[in-house]
Amino acid sequence: MRNSTITAFLLLCLIGTPAGAATTPWRSLPPVQQEALAPLSQQWDSLPEQQQHRLLKTAKRYPNLSPEQKKRFRDRLEAWSKLTPEQRNAAREKYRAFSKVPAEKREQVKQMIRQDQEVKTLQFASGVPAAASGRD
Amino acid sequence: MNTNTNLPNNDSRDIAAEHIAKLLTRAAQRLDDNTVAALRRARNVALERQSQSKPVFVLSAGHGMRWLMPHSAHQWVATIILLVAILFGGLSYWQHAHENALARLDTAILIDDLPLEVFVD
Repeated sequence: MRNSTITAFLLLCLIGTPAGAATTPWRSLPPVQQEALAPLSQQWDSLPEQQQHRLLKTAKRYPNLSPEQKKRFRDRLEAWSKLTPEQRNAAREKYRAFSKVPAEKREQVKQMIRQDQEVKTLQFASGVPAAASGRD
Repeated sequence: MNTNTNLPNNDSRDIAAEHIAKLLTRAAQRLDDNTVAALRRARNVALERQSQSKPVFVLSAGHGMRWLMPHSAHQWVATIILLVAILFGGLSYWQHAHENALARLDTAILIDDLPLEVFVD
């Protein structure tokens, strides 16, 4: 009797863990979440439960974002979801490290990155390979 | 009727214990049988009550924190279940907080004005 009580308790603990939860079908998501996660609508139902759970948490702040931020969120979401867990962890570490840089220096780095991207865009448009210009 | 005549002096602090014992013995010898029997019964009842309240006496005497330890199998099982529940609750709370922190970070990366490629290898 005592053993069965303990077993039942442990089973309840296991059932209660998030790992035991089922995936969430796309059609059962509320409209706000569907809008935020629209780029993933095709593959949503095949995503693992843990990834769905994390993406839903990530999309929680979506309604409070500005229109520009919402666009960035949607544009990058698919690429983000295709990264491996290791790549995502590395990106988080980089972002954390970059956030600790003083605001003034951070702005300088951002400016350099933007200029570099503009140059790359122009090179791409003019047909000059980026690797060739990098050797100069 | 003057009982003080048998005492060495009037100061009660100077009364010898042996003298008090003699007085009590003498007084007890003068009691009738009914009173002696009633006193004996009262003594026995008092002794029985003392043995029943022994754990409280042990606790009040300051014998460490032993009273906190489970004393029976049921108490052990209850304690273990309680500890497992506390552990499980703590782990769940930690996991929840960790996931929320990761989600906040992911959102920040996704909406940052720097492109995603800057952070992704």
